[in-house]
Amino acid sequence: MKFFTDREICYADILPPSEVRARIEVAVLNFLKILTCADPAISDLLLINRKSSNRRVSQGLLTDDDTWIFLSRSFCKRSLMRANAAKAFIRVWKVMEMCFKILLQEKRVTQRELFYKLLCVSPDCFSSQLQVNRTIQDVVSLLRCSRFSLGIMASSRGIVAGRLLVQEPEKEMVDCSECGSSGYAISGDLNLLDRLVMKTDARYIIIVEKHAIFQRLAEDRVFNHIPTILITARGYPDIATRFLLHRMSRTFPELPIMALVDWNPAGLAILCTFKFGSIGMGLEAYRYACNVKWLGLRGDDLQLIPEESFVSLKPRDLQIAKSLMSSETLQEKHREELALMVQSGKRAELEALYFHGYDYLGKYIAKKIVQANYI
Amino acid sequence: MEISSASNLCLHLISCAFQRCRLSLQLCRISAVLKSLSPSILQISISDTGIGSCLEEFQDLNCSSIIAAEFWDGILSVKTTAICDDEIYHYHLNLRKNISSSRTLTRLPSNPKNGLKFSGTEVYLSISESIDVLVSEINHFFQKIMILNIPNIAIEVVTEREDIPGSRCENVFLANKSNPGPLSTSNVECLKSGLEDYVSRHGNSLTQKCNTCFATSERLKVGSGIACSTENHKSSGLMMEVVVIISELESKCPCFRECSSKTEVLYFKDFTPCSISHSTLNVLSTIDWQSYGLTLENVVDQGVCVLEWGDSPSHSQIDMVLHCYNKQYPMHKTQPEQHLIKKAFTAALNNLKETHPGILRSAHALKICSHAPDLARSIAGLILSSNDPDFQGECFSLLGLESREIGANAVEDCIQEKIVSVIEMNDRKPRQRNVVAPSLFEDDCDHDSNYQDKEYEEGEDEFLYLD
Repeated sequence: MKFFTDREICYADILPPSEVRARIEVAVLNFLKILTCADPAISDLLLINRKSSNRRVSQGLLTDDDTWIFLSRSFCKRSLMRANAAKAFIRVWKVMEMCFKILLQEKRVTQRELFYKLLCVSPDCFSSQLQVNRTIQDVVSLLRCSRFSLGIMASSRGIVAGRLLVQEPEKEMVDCSECGSSGYAISGDLNLLDRLVMKTDARYIIIVEKHAIFQRLAEDRVFNHIPTILITARGYPDIATRFLLHRMSRTFPELPIMALVDWNPAGLAILCTFKFGSIGMGLEAYRYACNVKWLGLRGDDLQLIPEESFVSLKPRDLQIAKSLMSSETLQEKHREELALMVQSGKRAELEALYFHGYDYLGKYIAKKIVQANYI
Repeated sequence: MEISSASNLCLHLISCAFQRCRLSLQLCRISAVLKSLSPSILQISISDTGIGSCLEEFQDLNCSSIIAAEFWDGILSVKTTAICDDEIYHYHLNLRKNISSSRTLTRLPSNPKNGLKFSGTEVYLSISESIDVLVSEINHFFQKIMILNIPNIAIEVVTEREDIPGSRCENVFLANKSNPGPLSTSNVECLKSGLEDYVSRHGNSLTQKCNTCFATSERLKVGSGIACSTENHKSSGLMMEVVVIISELESKCPCFRECSSKTEVLYFKDFTPCSISHSTLNVLSTIDWQSYGLTLENVVDQGVCVLEWGDSPSHSQIDMVLHCYNKQYPMHKTQPEQHLIKKAFTAALNNLKETHPGILRSAHALKICSHAPDLARSIAGLILSSNDPDFQGECFSLLGLESREIGANAVEDCIQEKIVSVIEMNDRKPRQRNVVAPSLFEDDCDHDSNYQDKEYEEGEDEFLYLD
């Protein structure tokens, strides 16, 4: 059960192209009206603040399991009248123009493709991919429509392996347990992912942080010993992977989802992103939060790891830890684990478990699952 | 008032004549007749048809240095009459003594006017000075005074050398040669046309307007500003008038001045050209030139005040004149008030900006304007690529464009023009007022929402996300 004020939440709608174009046209008309009225001005762009100060949490009333973060009604503006930031203002219009044209052509592009297109058309305005990505988020904030609705495909890094049958519309059924260690690649097309037909006989879903670990587990066909679906975003969770995971959680609600991450703050952060969502994509990705449990590595596994495998925490790790600590969504037990990490000043990777042999990892996972040793 | 040379004495007396004529508001004449009796003795007569003199202007002169050096004997012969007087009064003023109480004013027999209504003054004196030196100074003085362009005064300078027969020479100065205005024109309007004339003749180096540079009047952009002290102020009647002219010069003109990055600030005090005081110079350096897109590098006082600019466009020349005076007569010592000077200059610069859009844009506005083409292109691109004719129609109608003139360039130019005009309009507003622009989607900004008037700062994300 949840209680929250509907007014507080700000979200980006998933809209058909015609609706997005209509919103852009409204933006242009408003701009022109303000520019040509009796007291003319160049209108500012009001964007929803994508900062931690504007982060709110929706807490499940009865359990911790249904918690997710969203962005609220705090705004920031981009203005032409501020000489040092005028370029950022222009960039928003440039991206809007480009997306408008893309939608008219009924195409979809990746962020990378968009960057190159913008570089050709307006080389003075854009200098890096990161700048383009941020500007895209500005447009999402301004028009309140999802990135995907703007015609921008997420390039996905995600892959799935294990006991899952997937069928894309009008295509053959794919058995993810037969895809080898490279697995089934998750498309960046959210529309397509939405229409995937999925069947499973797995009992668990495991999110794997790193590609190398995923490959090892897929190669050893761990999912046959314990009926699981393995999914990885190969690092920081991208929206397509999160989307698919969320779909899986709704399609197979009885399957617990657990995460296999390195024992360091970054690993926990990845888990939290799958679990609660992120500020960066806060306007649209709040929907894709899933109830994820922490399988390993955890504090009670440290005795399995040889002393030499421990490495000192870096400043970046401590920064991430600090940021996680200050988040009110972090569960008590996770908080304790994090405190232990910081206290010890050390971190360890999953690969350290290979000390006990290359097949140890599969056994380790199986044991933990059977013992329901996840938090 | 300290008089340092015989020439300066004459110029002061001429200046007094000028004041009297100015106040007369009728057509007046000033005649300066110089007769050299011998190579070093000059007999000078300065006469005018202005209001009658009250003699105060002669009595507080401090001429001890020139008297001691025997350039002048200290005697002034003054004849004067006001319009309401029945007689022409005649006085001898002996200014030999330093203390005014011991100076003698001898009244001589008056002449009757026999019922005629006129006014005027004649001043005679003899000095020891070379006629050529004095004539050159007087001519130079009158050329400068022409900038004030007072319409009702005609000036005549007559020179004669007694030892050379037939050497009588006349020179006439008339205001408003090219553009006579009505006599009732205000002082500042006269000053404007006077400076325009001065600039179009490249500062007195030509006798006629330079046609290479100023064939059309658009090449001269003129702004003026005034500031005056309030009624109750202790120095009421104080007026500051400033005229600023920006002109575009042709490089092929032989008078093209290389040093267009300098401005000589012409200065008049009580209708007399003089050198600018130190305190006034200081005021000039406190003006916010940056908000007019100008960078003041240096203020130089070389007898004349020169402002040196950094970064000025090579074909532009800026000319300025400041006139401080007291409307009342007799003139009390006019002390220019610093805040009034600043006010007058700012008013003149703002006037220039308002009447000539596009010039004197502040550095801030220039920077923003550089983005205008990009923004216009984007908006135009959005309008033209739409497949909704209703949307396009509404856009064109807002822009005031007829559908038949629609080319991509026409739309883009139209939008750009409007954007630039908004930027310039905001640039003319005083800095203190924050320009708050409306937002694109007004309904989103609830009044109780946490509205942060901050620029969006990058780099506060938790992670570098690449999804």
